[in-house]
Amino acid sequence: MRVVIAEDSAILRAGLVELLNLRGHEVVAAVADGDSLCAAVREHRPDVSIVDIRMPPTHTDEGLRASIALRAELPGCAILLFSQYVETQYATELLADRAGGVGYLLKDRVAEVSDFLDALGRVADGETVLDPEVVSQLFTATRKTDALAGLTPREREVLGLMAEGRSNSAIAAGLFLSAGSVEKYVSSIFGKLALPQSEGDNRRVLAVLRYLES
Amino acid sequence: MTTRLVPRVLGAQLSRAYWAELAWVLIGAPLTLVFTVLVVVGLFLGIGLSLLTIGLPVLIGVVAGARLIGAAHIGLARALLGTTVTPPARPELRPGLWNGVKSKIGDPIGWRSIAYLLIRLPLSFVEFFLVVTLFVYAVSTLTYPLFWFTLNGAAMPTFDLHVDSWPLTLPLALTGLAVLLAMPWVVHGLTSFDRLLVRGVLGAEDLSKRVRDLERSRATAVDDATRRLRRIERDLHDGAQAQLVALAMKLGIAKDELSGDGDIAQVTALVTAAHANAKQALVELRDLARGIHPAALDAGLDIALSTLAAGSGIDARITVTLPSRPSPSIETIAYFTVAELLTNAAKHTSAAIEVDVGIFGDGLRLVVRDGGEGGARPERGGGLAGIAERLATVDGRLDIDSPPGGPTVISAEIPLRT
Repeated sequence: MRVVIAEDSAILRAGLVELLNLRGHEVVAAVADGDSLCAAVREHRPDVSIVDIRMPPTHTDEGLRASIALRAELPGCAILLFSQYVETQYATELLADRAGGVGYLLKDRVAEVSDFLDALGRVADGETVLDPEVVSQLFTATRKTDALAGLTPREREVLGLMAEGRSNSAIAAGLFLSAGSVEKYVSSIFGKLALPQSEGDNRRVLAVLRYLES
Repeated sequence: MTTRLVPRVLGAQLSRAYWAELAWVLIGAPLTLVFTVLVVVGLFLGIGLSLLTIGLPVLIGVVAGARLIGAAHIGLARALLGTTVTPPARPELRPGLWNGVKSKIGDPIGWRSIAYLLIRLPLSFVEFFLVVTLFVYAVSTLTYPLFWFTLNGAAMPTFDLHVDSWPLTLPLALTGLAVLLAMPWVVHGLTSFDRLLVRGVLGAEDLSKRVRDLERSRATAVDDATRRLRRIERDLHDGAQAQLVALAMKLGIAKDELSGDGDIAQVTALVTAAHANAKQALVELRDLARGIHPAALDAGLDIALSTLAAGSGIDARITVTLPSRPSPSIETIAYFTVAELLTNAAKHTSAAIEVDVGIFGDGLRLVVRDGGEGGARPERGGGLAGIAERLATVDGRLDIDSPPGGPTVISAEIPLRT
């Protein structure tokens, strides 16, 4: 993949470049602030950008603002937000355009190199990837606890993995189930939560997320 | 004792303070009379006419005028009596015509000035006549020996005093001299009533001002705490946390390499880099913890400040003379105050900096002296202004004495109550 990295910490920037190069990806630009990110993406049109949320000058949400602007300008431009903390609000702002190709991961996830690269690949392919931490926060923040309480523990596990953007086959592998039983769980969940059945993994993720946020 | 007395008495005759106080007494009476008459006449007019609408503007004018007179007296007292009183704040205006009229007529400062004038009127006349009488007495008795002959034994025209023979005029003249020489103390004693009056009536710091000051310093304290917390969070985020993420990432790569048929040289390089990240994270955490609470402070201010100077490479001589240890919070404030003052001084000079910590009255006093260029000023948003604001939150204060060309002496006082 061709990747742009926007991260203001020099240590992490260097580390990410090293990691991606080691795994045979090409880092076309590594920048340290939002404006340079926009310029680099316009110039290189990478497959995916890894963006730190907090960057100079104010260290609040520059990365997020730049990403939203980029996606408004170049629809479907793939962005993986990368943050030290989970802010569900940031996640939902970025997911607002429903176009897919977005991700939100905690920086800690980079320790699991393969998982991280896998998530990056899925974002580049236009899927939605959310950190389990984000999903569990959405779960606790949601006011639909009564409806969620109607789910079996197994169904809640499946719902969590769905919200993280996993496909049915990935969920099946993760929970050691057959693909068929995962499909049964999924349709049962959609029935209980009165969600519209939708085609495609990403649309499904978004439906679940909207449900959790509302 | 006597050797010191003579120059003191003679010096007092010529001192600026004496003549200023004398001026206060002499112009005070006529000035107060004029002002009082104006104000009283205005009040009667205003109240008499208040049945007609014209009375209200008159009253407003009188109260506002009295306010100005009070402010003028505060200025005069500062110039002549050396009494510094904070001038009262501008009245807060509320919108609406009637509110405006009410607050202007009910302006407490204006009414206080009127009360001041009414008390000052008799006082100023007593002062005036006493001082004038004493001067007349002194001057006439002093000159009595000269014009005794011209009077042919008749009494002096001023005090009905007379003596039968010329030599006896001399002791009388001596009493006159004594009175003249004692005048500075007499005048000072008399004007002390005025000082009390100016302070007590015109510049009485009402509770509301104290509350405003406290609100301001509380806001400073809260802002300061928030800023500190944010800085700690930023330091953690940019420092130790980033190092640890990099460390985890490198170990993650190394783990993957090892589980495959990893290249040993590459794994070694990764682990070495991760090791460096771990050590750097430790250093950053240690610095951060020291910034929150220096461990050396547990052993006392003396050791903490010496450690600080040694660790920062600033050439400083530190003397701490404390009979007992102040409370931890005071120690912490003192430590960070000295730390900031030292950093500040080291920016402007390479000479040795002297730091003295001691007890002064009922407070802790820190003095930082450097032989730099001088000209240190507490600029808005600058380091010194920040220190002064932080000290104000514990009712402490910062004094800056920094003439051009140096040396700069900055002293901070922190009250020792907890």
